[in-house]
Order: sequence, then C-alpha cells, then structure tokens
Amino acid sequence: MNNFSQQQQKIRSAASRLLADGTVRFVIGWAPTRFAERTTVLFAHTEAEAQALVWNAHCTAALGKYLLDHRLADYAVGIVARGCESRMINRLLTDHQIWRERVYILGAPCPGMDAERCAGCRERAPVVWDELLWDADGMPETGGRQDAAPTNLDEATIADVGAGLALPAVGAACSRPLDTDTSLRSRFFRAEAVEGLSAAEKFSYWDEVYAKCIRCYACRQACPVCSCRACYVDMDRQGFQGKQHSAADNRVFGVTRAFHVADRCVECGECERVCPMGLPILGQTQKLIKEIEALTGEAYVQGMDAEEENFLGAFDLDDKDDFL
Amino acid sequence: MSRIGVFVCHCGTNLASVVDVEKVAAAARELPGVSYAAEYKYMCSEPGQQMILDAIAEHGLKRIVIASCSPRMHETTFRKMLKKSGVNEYLLEIANIREQVSWVHTDSGVATEKAVDLVRMAVAKVAKDEPLKASSIPITKRALVVGGGIAGIQAALDIADAGHEVWLLEREPSIGGRMVMLDKTFPTLDCSACISTPKMVDMSAHPNIKLLTSCEVAAVRGYIGNFTVTIRQKAKYVNQDICTGCGNCEEKCPVKVKSDFNKGLSDRPAIYRLFPQAVPAKPVIDRAHCLKLTKDRCGLCEKVCPLGCIDYADEDREYDETFGAVVLATGYGLCDWTAMYDEYGAGRFADVIDGLAFERLVNASGPTEGHIVRPSDGAEPKTVVLVKCVGSRDPKKGKPWCSRACCMYAAKHAHQILEKIPGARVFVFYIDVRTPGKNYEEFYDQTRKDGAVYVRGRVSRIYKEGGRLICQGEDSLLGKQVRVAADLVVLETAMEPAAGARETAALFGASADANGWLQEAHPKLRPVETQAGGVFLAGTCQGPKDIPDTVAQASGAAAKAIGLLNKDEMETSPMIVAVDEAKCSGCGACVDICPFGALSLEILTAREGRWERAERFVCKVNAGLCQGCGACTVACRTGAIDLRGFRNVQILEEIDALWT
Repeated sequence: MNNFSQQQQKIRSAASRLLADGTVRFVIGWAPTRFAERTTVLFAHTEAEAQALVWNAHCTAALGKYLLDHRLADYAVGIVARGCESRMINRLLTDHQIWRERVYILGAPCPGMDAERCAGCRERAPVVWDELLWDADGMPETGGRQDAAPTNLDEATIADVGAGLALPAVGAACSRPLDTDTSLRSRFFRAEAVEGLSAAEKFSYWDEVYAKCIRCYACRQACPVCSCRACYVDMDRQGFQGKQHSAADNRVFGVTRAFHVADRCVECGECERVCPMGLPILGQTQKLIKEIEALTGEAYVQGMDAEEENFLGAFDLDDKDDFL
Repeated sequence: MSRIGVFVCHCGTNLASVVDVEKVAAAARELPGVSYAAEYKYMCSEPGQQMILDAIAEHGLKRIVIASCSPRMHETTFRKMLKKSGVNEYLLEIANIREQVSWVHTDSGVATEKAVDLVRMAVAKVAKDEPLKASSIPITKRALVVGGGIAGIQAALDIADAGHEVWLLEREPSIGGRMVMLDKTFPTLDCSACISTPKMVDMSAHPNIKLLTSCEVAAVRGYIGNFTVTIRQKAKYVNQDICTGCGNCEEKCPVKVKSDFNKGLSDRPAIYRLFPQAVPAKPVIDRAHCLKLTKDRCGLCEKVCPLGCIDYADEDREYDETFGAVVLATGYGLCDWTAMYDEYGAGRFADVIDGLAFERLVNASGPTEGHIVRPSDGAEPKTVVLVKCVGSRDPKKGKPWCSRACCMYAAKHAHQILEKIPGARVFVFYIDVRTPGKNYEEFYDQTRKDGAVYVRGRVSRIYKEGGRLICQGEDSLLGKQVRVAADLVVLETAMEPAAGARETAALFGASADANGWLQEAHPKLRPVETQAGGVFLAGTCQGPKDIPDTVAQASGAAAKAIGLLNKDEMETSPMIVAVDEAKCSGCGACVDICPFGALSLEILTAREGRWERAERFVCKVNAGLCQGCGACTVACRTGAIDLRGFRNVQILEEIDALWT
C-alpha cells in the first residue's frame, strides 16, 4: 500500500505554514468532491482551507496552468507540483509568462496517478521546487528517459488504444479503479500505436478523430504551452482557420495546434485528460517530438529547465536549411 | 473603389513570345477593383514608365500592378517612378510573369492562364496594401576594410582619398596579402613587390587610415550605417609604439620555425616580421613557438631589445568600434593539394611544389634569392613540368570552378624558367588555355615562342624513377600516353576562399555560395554589393580573379562605400515588422528566431484587468536591424508580429484569389 495519507499530511502542514507566514497568497492543490473517486482543484487561502487539501490517486488534474491566471499578479502563489506540474512551471518560465520569485513550489514526487495517461511518463518527480515534501525514493527512474528501458507494446495494447478511440471514453477518468497499473510503457506508446497502421488506416483513423472533435478548445485551455494572450482560433480575421464545425476545419485546427506546441510540449497529458470526446491529442504532439529526436539523434524532453531553447524556433548559422 | 491599374510588359519577346499579353491585360480589366489595364513592349523603359504615369493621371489610379520580370529586377525602378506620381510607392505589386511563367513554360495556353492567375493574385494583394513611409537613420562616417591584401589596400586608399576615415583590419602581422609573395606579375612582368610595397607605405602614412594588424572581427552588431564591430587584437608581445624595428631580437632568437610566407622553403625565428618590407615594419612574437611563452625559458629578445619593447604579459584584447560601411576583402588561399592528390605524391616528393612556392623560389627576396633550385638538393632543374588546373575545374575534387589566374601565371612561370635557366625545357600540361585579358594572349603566345611545350591533357600520376619525377598523362591531341622525366614539378593549384571568410562574412550578414565564395547581390548588376546593406566585396573573396580585376573591383567597392559615407543619413526600408502589443504574449519565439538580432523582449508596465501596475514582456523591434525577412511572423503563433507590406491578411488575400 502506498503512503498517500502521510504525504497528504505533509502537503497540508506545508501549505498551512506558507499561508500563516504570508509567503503566498494561496496554495493550489486538490480537494475532495462528493464523489469518492474524484477530486477538484482547490485554491486554499486560509489555514483552515489548507486542511482540506488531499493527495490520493484521484489527483489527476495538473495544476500548472492555473498559475497563468495570476501571471500579472504582484503576489506569490504556492503550488503543489509533481513531475508534470514542475515541467509546466518551467515551460511557463521559459515562455516568460510567470515570474519565478512569485511562485512557491511544493515538490511532490508522484507514483503516477492514471494508468493510461501516466504510463509513458518518465519524469514523475519534480525537476524544480522550493521545498521537496518527500524524497523520490522508490519512484520510477527519473533524470532522462534513456534510463528507463521502453516497454514494447504488444498487439493487444495497440488494439486497446484504437478501441478507446472508436468508443470515446467520456468520463473514463471518474470510473478508473484504484489499483491501476501505472508502470512504465514506451514514452511514445501513443504515437507508436498509430505508426503501426497502414496509410489508409491512418486516414480513416484521423478522419474519425476529426469528425468527433467539437472544437471546444478545452485542450488549449488546459495546456501549459498554450499561453498566448490571444489564440489564433479566436480571431475573427484569421483567414486560414474556418469557424465551421466541419472535419476539414477541425483538421486544420488539430494540425495547427500540434505544431504550435510541438517543440515545447512537456507531455503532461492535460489535453487528453480534458478532452470531452476522448481524442488522442497527446499522441499527435508526441509524434512530432519523436520526429525531432529522430532528426537530431538526441533526447528531447521539454520543461527540464527554464532556459532551454525551442528546437523549431531558433536561428543558428549552422542550420541545415539556409533559407535566409 | 480601389482604382487599380494593371500594366503588362512584353519584355521585348521574353514574355510576349510565350504569354499572350493582350489576353492577360484583357483578363485584368475584368477583375474587381481594376479601372485600367494596358500592355507595352518595355514597361521599364522611359516611354513605358511615362505611359504608366499618364494612365495614373488620366484614370485617377490609386494602386498599381505591373506584370513583368522578377520584382528583384525592377521593383525599385517602378517605386522610384511612383514617387513622381503622387501614388505611394508601396501601393505597388509586381506579378512575376517572366521568371515564373515565360521562362519556365513552353505551352502558351498554360503560360497565359498562369500569368492571369498571378495578376489576379497581385490585384488582390495590392487592394490590401497600405501606404508606407521610409524613415531615416544617421550614418557613421567611417569605413572598415577587412583584409589587407591588394584588394583591401586599394579599397582603403580610395575611400581615404575621398576624405573618409578608414580602418583596415588584417589578421596577419603585416598587410600585403598574397601579392607581396609574388615575384613578377603578368603580362608586363613588373616586380610585384615594387608595385605593391609603395601602396603599403602610402597606407601607413595616410592621415585617414588606421592600420590594425594581428586583428580579427570577433562580433558584429548593428546594420548599414552603424555597424558596431568587436575587434579582437591578438597579443603581439612587442610594444609597437616604442619598437623601431631594429631587428636585434629577430637575429638573436634561437627558435627556428618553417616560414609560411616562404611556403616552408626557409626558416624564421619565433619573434619575426612576415617579410623584410612588412608594414608595420615591427616584429611580433609567435606565441605557439616562443620558448619564453611556451616553456618560460630563453627570454633573449627581452635582453637584447635596446628599448624594452618586449612584453611577455601582453594579452588579446577586444574592443568595440562603430563603422558606417564595410568592405570585405578576405582574399583566397590555395587548396591543400596534398590532401587531394595522392596520385601526385600527396606531398611526399619535395620537388613537387605549388605555384606560390615557385613564386618564392623565383623571387629575388625569397629564400634562394631568386635562383630556381630543387628544394630537395638545391640543384638547378633542367626539365620542369607545370601542371595546370590542380584542383580547379574538377568537380570530383570538390572544386568545379576555374581559378582564372593560373593559365597566365603558368605562362609566366614557364617564361621565367626559360629565361633564368639556359637550356631548360618546360612542359605545361593543360585542359584549356584561357587568356581573356588585355595583352594576355600575346604573352601566352610569346611563352610558346620562347620554347614552352604545351601538352593538352591532365597528369594522371607523378612517381619517382631514378631520382627524377615521372609525370605521366595523356596528350589528348595525339591520343597518346606521354611521360616526362622532370627535375621539378610545379602544380598550379586552385584558389579557394580564405579560411574563415564565410564565418566572418556571416557576422556582417553577408552570405557565401555553395563553394564558399562570398555572394554578390547580383552577378551582373550589383557585383560588389552583398545582400547585407552597407557590406561590399573586393577581390578574390567574391571569386577567383587576377590582380587587375581585383584592383578594379576594390575601387568599385570603395566607390559604393564612399557613396554611402557621403550621405549624412539614409532611408531605411519601411517593409519591416511591427508588433501588436495587445496581442503579444512576450513568449520570445520571435526573438530566438531572428537572424539579425532585431527583436528583444522588454517589460511593459501597464494597468490591465484588476491589476494596477501589471508587468509583462512584449517584443520590441529595432527598425534599423530588421531586414524584413519575415521569419518571426511565422514563429509568432498569435500573429502579433506582422511584416509591413507582407501582412498575413495580404498574403491570405493573394491565396484566396488563386482559388476563386
């Protein structure tokens, strides 16, 4: 059995302390809901509220993006940060969206909360923190995906991913059993599942995906990389993006979204988690990351520090493509 | 109503022979917003331009589309024309129906259809064009010349004589470059040093010229009119202000290093001047070989120096200076044939030398005082083989170009051998003999009359047999293999761009072609300019050439630099990017991708939402640095940064027009 309850106590007392001594205006964490198998996000402003913070296998929402709502604030915000949150924070720092001194990070190494979503995750311990609440011993290997041997997907798994799509698992996150297997899979298992398809199968696969997309932009809202003040899809005169709900315009949106985040994605999986239609969005972005790795022959993991350069967005005299 | 005028050019028959220009004009008349369309034989000519101006006046045209050659050819011509008309010169679009249509299509029907498409796109875009206005920036009235060979020297003297301050930067300890290594110059056979050293002295004495030797360009910021150049002064270890160049130190230095200047045919000390007539005429210490600097021993030069000039603690220094114009004269090097030609012995035979080594051998101030001898044993060679196009004109060796000067200096070498060694025999292996230059053919002819034997063919192999070098090759006129037993073989090797030229040019924003030669802005009409404003090319950095062409080009580059420096301020293109700060989220994607360093993030403090003094990053554009390339506009996911004259909405309008 895990030690969620001891760790939960550490979160509560650290949050209480930060609120009591005025280090932060509030602490972002999770709180229970009236459904036992579901948590919600809590902005704890008082010590009493801090006692309502929870830490369990239902803490699926990633919290990093909430910092963006306070990017203009002159106060500091506390946040419980697992591997994914910490990489989201680095992402926001790299993109100059938040100020490091206005975020107080409570590092919370994570065992992996969701069988499907966390299966490819190599960085479950935080990479940046102000205070590490407990050490990462016993966690899956961190510090670079090459340390962990990728597990090859068997046919059944591929079929399984496809099946999840054919019947979008709306609300699947609520009904997930507690003792799910969150052990490591291949980092790119989502992309690899699709790579196995023939060209014709891929076409029909993506046709199906884009026919289902309802263009709610929940993926954008949840994504820590989507930090633009104005998103191109909201602009009335952005000529190449139609507003119609059609598979063709959905496809333009899907491909554009993937390229907008491609080289900056921290692979937190929030896009897939929040998608009400259960579409395989992260796999799409990860395919691009996989291509970057194939092109450079080097590991490409974003969010590991706040100073990294974006692969697709930097000019270098040694660029192979001398378009200028 | 847009009141657009469309003018279709025939370009003589260039366009009209493939494209049905009348049909294009007729189709243009039907397009929305077009008030007038006409065609004419040469739109760029005086009557052509007048015809456009008349039509503007007569029909009240507000925007102009010209269907003609590439905008790179005549866009500026037509912009200048529009200045006389009252129509803003940026309400102009060029539909390129020559390079993109008539020159690449043969089927008239298809070509005409495509030309109509391009005109329709240009009409759609011009309707969205906005009037733009050029701004101006002040010019720093000082030129930098990079490279102190004959090209750099000539350019610097010309600019200085025109009354402008010039700094000449040379990475070697002396100016002079390759020309001072040569013995005599074709076709007049005047002594190379005798005509170049006086120019070098003029340089050092000129009140407008500052000479920087042992210097490199470390970094460049800025743009035309205002380049801020970080100059790296390499340590000389000799106080150049006090040193009189007495030469005591050079005599006493115990170190012997192969002299690069003499192509390894002699030695020089570790404290040395490049050659006796070096400018400045003061020695420097070669830090790689000095015993004091490498092993902390010796120190003889310090002891013998009567003035205490030696400073072993000297260090490299970097400092910034600002220049208005830059002339790149980085010159050439000879290709390393030893790495390319195993069949010629790859450097194993001492008596197979390159042309520049021969120049040192035959030079009166060279290691042998002008006696042509074999490097191996000092004997006078009786049979000499000259091999042309070693490296040059050989795509298999990676150098497809003709080095241009070698035909003539091979003839000169043949002449010098026949003159200096009585009874000598000279064989010249060649592919072609190219002598396009004043008095060149005559010189070549004389060399053959002197007795040089020209063999048309390449040498396939050089090997040693009985102490002599056997040059085997095909005489392709006879269709026979020939073998010549030679005492000395001179390889007239290919010129290649000087090491580091591409990198130095890149610092200034100038580019190099696939072979590494610096790229001129237009091969015919702008041969001394580069794509980077205010950066000009002189001499062999741009491509192989001989001394007369080098000097002529250097004066051309100087004229361009003088023209720029004569102005107090200059107009900048208004077709640069602009940032919509309301949309900009300050992510910096544009900053990382800008090749010109024109963009930066700055903190904007403003009231926003519920925050009184919210701080956030926004992108700022340096109008002087932005070249309008548009790389940032595609990096910006929001479209907060947009290129004036090529706004996203204008381009989308063009694309829409293609599909409607």
